[in-house]
Amino acid sequence: MAMLEVRDIDLAYGPIRAVTGVSIRVEQGEVVAIVGANGAGKSTLLKSIAGLLPLSGGSIHFEDADISTLPAHRRVGAGIALSPEGRQVFPDQTVRDNLELGAWSRRLNVGDLAAAVEQKYTLFPRLRERQGQMAMTLSGGEQQMLAIARALMGAPRLLLLDEPSLGLAPLVIRDIFLTIRKLRAAGMTVLLVEQMANLALGIADRAYVLETGRVTLSGTGAELLQHPQVRAAYLGH
Amino acid sequence: MLATWLQALVSGLAIGGVYALIALSFSITFTTTKTLNFSQGEFIGVGAFLGVAVLYLLSGQDEGAALAPGASAGFNYPLAAIAVGAAVGVIGILLFITAVRPFAGKPGMSWVMSTIGFGIILQSIGLAIWGPAPVNLPSPFGDDVIRIAGAGVRPQEILVLVVAIVLMIGLDLLLRRTRMGKAMRAVANNPSVAALMGINVSAVMIGAFALSSALAGIGGLLVAPIASASIFMGLGIALKAFSGAIVGGLDNPRGCIFGGFALGLLEASVALWQAQWREIVIFLLIILVLAIRPQGLFGARTLDKV
Repeated sequence: MAMLEVRDIDLAYGPIRAVTGVSIRVEQGEVVAIVGANGAGKSTLLKSIAGLLPLSGGSIHFEDADISTLPAHRRVGAGIALSPEGRQVFPDQTVRDNLELGAWSRRLNVGDLAAAVEQKYTLFPRLRERQGQMAMTLSGGEQQMLAIARALMGAPRLLLLDEPSLGLAPLVIRDIFLTIRKLRAAGMTVLLVEQMANLALGIADRAYVLETGRVTLSGTGAELLQHPQVRAAYLGH
Repeated sequence: MLATWLQALVSGLAIGGVYALIALSFSITFTTTKTLNFSQGEFIGVGAFLGVAVLYLLSGQDEGAALAPGASAGFNYPLAAIAVGAAVGVIGILLFITAVRPFAGKPGMSWVMSTIGFGIILQSIGLAIWGPAPVNLPSPFGDDVIRIAGAGVRPQEILVLVVAIVLMIGLDLLLRRTRMGKAMRAVANNPSVAALMGINVSAVMIGAFALSSALAGIGGLLVAPIASASIFMGLGIALKAFSGAIVGGLDNPRGCIFGGFALGLLEASVALWQAQWREIVIFLLIILVLAIRPQGLFGARTLDKV
């Protein structure tokens, strides 16, 4: 069975349907991308996997357990961490405090917590330089690194990344995607939501195309990159 | 002249300490849940009476007679403070569950009415149990006035100031230095992202209401020996404390503390000049400050567009 199985879920904001009958799966060790236009329901889908949005229908299974009704704060401990859209670092707390909060569910002692933080600094040396600064003083790229590092502090087995390229300069985006490759090489399973379809499909083992709340295409990243419909709609060819 | 000013300074600092403590208690629930307990005043009165009840119990006195001057001596008063903090904290949890959680985060301001209603219920229960008459609560250090440079200072005033400062420093350290405090600030900043960290947001909110209410209860126990315990005593204090919080900036705990002290000192110094002008001057100044800085002196931003 797949690591993550989303089965036929419906999601809604009040009376407004956002996602209808979506099924996706993520195998251990894969990088899976969800691409689609703004408002297609990509972020909504990730939020529901992280537990921030209740299901109106269907179910979500993670490592053989039904987590459909597990509250958000217990999903980190179960092994799923989300780096949210728009970074959403805690602005009035330091870089280090942000990272430490990411490990809240693990109840680490001081030594193990410091070691976990140190490990993230190795991955993002920039964060070490900024560790005493308030998160709001960081650049957009640094905040994105912090958001990913903070999610990793929860020691997830499945990392959910929501629009990591949003509002960043091309060079910074390249850095972020290099990091995702590094994480994959280290064995991390990643579910990536991204508007920049070429980048996402370039890195993904498999991908789903979401349109107005429904999966319209799926396949390997390479297949979708060549797919005429994808090329026309998302790659500008 | 100097003696009168010194006396005003000490009473201003003492009552300001209480305002600051209660202002901080408003800030704690506001930052974590974006709601306020508008029955904080009743919590103060109930805290004072619970304190009286505990002191009767501890001193083994009969309920018929007034509390003896020695009833607060020794460990009795600190024990009463702990008991009041715990009991009013539990009432705060009850308030959160019944009057805040059903409405928090939803459009409208139902929680304003529901917390006021909770306070009225609480006050009526208090009246039924203890009656409307004020009760004397002796200070643990006696009621003899101490002379400092000619100024007459009541020991309870010093105690109130010291306890308020110790509690506030403790809370400031809790919020800034401990993992729990950082988690509370994370919830205050962004509850859903805090949940992504694995923080149990509801538990933190319940904790915030318990803490805020406990502070109100202890505030009541601190003021009672100065003003005598009454079920109505809290309203004026809570209103001034709330003003202090608004002036200092409701979303800034340190601003709230400043606002509380500023109000206490202002009150005491205006009273030196003309006691009946006290409230007029204070509230005119509050309106003036808010006209110039709507977010309060140290507030980060204007209040939510509720």
